[in-house]
Amino acid sequence: MKRNRLVATSVASTITLALAMSACSSGGNGGAASPTPTGKPEPANITLWLNGADTPQANRDWLKQEFAKENPGSTLTIEEQSWTDLVPKLTTALADPNNTPDVVEIGNTQAPTFTAVGAFTEITPDFFKELGGDKLLKSFVDAGDFDGKHYALPYYFGSRYMFYRKDIWTAAGLTVPKTLDEFATDVAKLKTDKQSGFAIGGQDWRNGISWVFANGGELATVNGTTWTSTLSDPKTIAGLKEFQQVYKTSSILPSTDRDVAYWDFLNDGAKGEPPAAATIMAPGWARWSIGGMVKNAKGEDVRDGMADANKFDIFALPGKDGGVAPVFAGGSNIAISAKSKHQELAKSLMKIIFSADYQQMLGKAGLGPANSDYVSSLGDDKFAKTMIETAANSKLTPAAPGWASVEGAFVYEELFQKIVEGGDVVALAKQYDAKITPMLNGQS
Amino acid sequence: MATTVGAPARQRRKPVTPYLLLIPAVAALLLGLGYPVYWQIVTSFQKFGLAQQFGQPPTFAGLDNYARIFSDSDAFAVVVRSIIFCLVNALITVVVGLLVALLMRAVHGWVKIVVQIAMLLAWATPVIAAVTVFRWLFDDRSGVVNYLLVKIGLTSYQGHAWLATPMSFFFVATLIIVWMSVPFVALSLFAGLTQVNDELIEAARIDGATNGQILWRILMPLVRPVLAIVLLLQIIWDLRVFAQIRLLQDAGAPVSETNLLGNFIYELGMARNNFGGAAAVSIFVLVLTIVLSAPYVRSLMKEDES
Repeated sequence: MKRNRLVATSVASTITLALAMSACSSGGNGGAASPTPTGKPEPANITLWLNGADTPQANRDWLKQEFAKENPGSTLTIEEQSWTDLVPKLTTALADPNNTPDVVEIGNTQAPTFTAVGAFTEITPDFFKELGGDKLLKSFVDAGDFDGKHYALPYYFGSRYMFYRKDIWTAAGLTVPKTLDEFATDVAKLKTDKQSGFAIGGQDWRNGISWVFANGGELATVNGTTWTSTLSDPKTIAGLKEFQQVYKTSSILPSTDRDVAYWDFLNDGAKGEPPAAATIMAPGWARWSIGGMVKNAKGEDVRDGMADANKFDIFALPGKDGGVAPVFAGGSNIAISAKSKHQELAKSLMKIIFSADYQQMLGKAGLGPANSDYVSSLGDDKFAKTMIETAANSKLTPAAPGWASVEGAFVYEELFQKIVEGGDVVALAKQYDAKITPMLNGQS
Repeated sequence: MATTVGAPARQRRKPVTPYLLLIPAVAALLLGLGYPVYWQIVTSFQKFGLAQQFGQPPTFAGLDNYARIFSDSDAFAVVVRSIIFCLVNALITVVVGLLVALLMRAVHGWVKIVVQIAMLLAWATPVIAAVTVFRWLFDDRSGVVNYLLVKIGLTSYQGHAWLATPMSFFFVATLIIVWMSVPFVALSLFAGLTQVNDELIEAARIDGATNGQILWRILMPLVRPVLAIVLLLQIIWDLRVFAQIRLLQDAGAPVSETNLLGNFIYELGMARNNFGGAAAVSIFVLVLTIVLSAPYVRSLMKEDES
């Protein structure tokens, strides 16, 4: 008995730990130091945050070189962040003058959350003109504006379009659809037990909202500074219902799928099995994950980038009455941290990023340059043309300060899952409007 | 040593050294735990969002943040769900753990060693690795579970998404959590069982006690203290469960319907930037933990006194 209590008490000592762990801290309180205005910048090392592997290594090296050349004695450090936990990282880092990155890339849908609280340095009208002014992509510039002032500028734009198996479409006697309805009928015909006519995960709202936009619907509207979720708008409802139908009749993916590597689905199986999908929707760079297997210079197996044009091809998602449907724009913005201690050096980096040389380097890497003067650097093959065509028609999510909350809480994922599971769209729209409107206005 | 030179008689009655030795531990606790808890409590009474994080002064919100835990239907659902989930998981874990402990007592030789090693390996598996394995097992397209169910004729499980509805989501989550926690319970209880005197059992047998009677009348009362503490710890741990749920949600699940308290705090604080609200829920969890553990701690203290 006595020894048993010993066992018990020794186990009990762990309780202290358990209690300690339940008090988790949630973020520090940054000081309110103001940026130091200096006439001539002192040499220093500044930090640029880029997200994901989108920006190629060659571009990064060039930025570092150029920056060191322009600012003798100073250096540039580029740190790569992941898109998935960018918002929490920015929330803590941007508020702290001692730890803040000086220049940050930020998702265009996340920008309003931070511009509204003064996390970024204002880009003055003169400086804005110097960086490209009215030639910069308007919709992205708007996403980075707050209260009539510029804060975050476009970094690069992307777009999404349809990749399809031409051999399968042709064998079924189908050609590239001209309207959105035609697309829906075609991909429904291509669905089998083992193959999606059009592979789309149920929670994948980033592709799914294309149907809302194509029907002229909006996700939210703003009156002054008050945002209202407009899922119940008849046009939005029409788009959501159409998406529900397309998923049901053409996709065999589960309703819970959200970030799926769709591009794998177009390739033949390892033993030559037929592909898992006849059509997918993806950003332009997905091309490099599709096609036949070839060896690269290092002798590694890589995809040939859809070299066989009779087997793989692309088209832009058609609109309701022909033309091109508006899709959700890809891409990001870039801004200077307001708490950065090296404002002048950060500005110098911005000038380098918006220089003709770098803009063209972005274009050559397949990333849409922010400045319309250099869009031609994307090239003139079908991939570049389709990208420019769809990007010109693309739309962004609402520029509400609370939009990042909506994304962070996975509200749209949940809504879209319920829709594709056959839920009553009108009732769901009403329910989620009530949930989203306060979130958009920052009352969470 | 120098202190003993002055007045040895008084020093013996009021020794200073033990208190001096306590200082580092107390200081570390105050610094490491005291300040965050203090900040947490202060923030929980404030309206503290992203604007405050970037330097605007926070405004006093009174009990608003606490009130929403009970007034907001989403938040209250999370509280109820967490308590039910934690009690169910803790009970299942302790029952299964007890059965395994009894099994380990009953078997001998290499069987016992195999069981013990299996337990230790499960206990040593990192959370992320374990959840990843379970995600693959229950994967809708290539998961072994669906494959086997289809093989035995349940064709409706072809491509079945286990994480799509809250009930089956929590079924998978319970499997993971029970699987991960059973070893600790089993080994602790087994340690307790080894303390039971064999002569006692022999005597009982001679008196004609059945196996059931031996279990309920002799073994259980003797391991009661250990059983009580592992059940308590299990309740506390299952109330704080976070990573398993978050990783399963990442595989696709209706997030707001599968959030537990830990995930809700994370979502409020890090995704919605409502630091005040998140702090209030954290404090609520702390209080809940103290309320749940108070009875046991009190009985433990009583036993110590007697």
